[in-house]
Amino acid sequence: MASKKKDIVQVKNPRSGHYVKIDRTEGRILAHKKSAGPYANIPVARKRKAS
Amino acid sequence: MIVYRPTDGDAHTVPIATRCRTCFLMTQLGEPIPDGLQGIRDRVEAVFVAEGFDVIDADSITTGRDFLHKIWEIIASVPVGIAIVPEGAKPTTLANIFYEVGLMQALGKETLVVKAPKATVPSDFVRTEYVVANAWLEKKLKAFAVSLHEREMHYGHVGSLVENNPLLALDYFRRAYLLSGDATWREQAAAVLEASDLSERATDSVEMILASFTRETN
Repeated sequence: MASKKKDIVQVKNPRSGHYVKIDRTEGRILAHKKSAGPYANIPVARKRKAS
Repeated sequence: MIVYRPTDGDAHTVPIATRCRTCFLMTQLGEPIPDGLQGIRDRVEAVFVAEGFDVIDADSITTGRDFLHKIWEIIASVPVGIAIVPEGAKPTTLANIFYEVGLMQALGKETLVVKAPKATVPSDFVRTEYVVANAWLEKKLKAFAVSLHEREMHYGHVGSLVENNPLLALDYFRRAYLLSGDATWREQAAAVLEASDLSERATDSVEMILASFTRETN
């Protein structure tokens, strides 16, 4: 059975300085990285403010 | 997000109007004011006013209702809270201040503790950002105020990333909106609401109360 491809990205929380993994497909915050640096193999989402 | 009133434990089913870019000061208001408190307070207010914030405390607003309910409603309406811990404050005063800090953190607000050099902070708050009211106070406060813009952008960004989860997205957009009052966040939240099934819900539903800020006007 084919699984639905997840759109998972990460962003850096400026308050903690740690990266947060987000599942855009489900709109869920998946995990908070405990150590420094980004998650491997997860794209960093760029900030984009609508105008 | 469901918020429960501390006065009766019931869910709050009336929208709370936002006080964007407003800083709530949590400190002793009644006499006798401990030595040095007014000076620290004046310095905090000067920095935040210069950064474009309104600064209020529990005495700034009169509702004629229960004092705790008033404080709770102010806290729910603002983005930032600054606790000022003076030296020699009574235990009851400290309990009030840190109760309010905890309430703000539970509601996703930005908090900062400003303490007099010899004042102590309870151990539960060791991870809460705090600054000492010394010669570098203004510099530290300004850095905190500037960091709030970064947080605003982060909340708005996360809001846009979790749009498939409308309630979470609305809450993040609301946090961004509170920090700046920028109508863009309100409009993005309104778009999420429009695209979801939530806009059909009753006006006093949890979803529509959360989304009430999308109907505000500047």
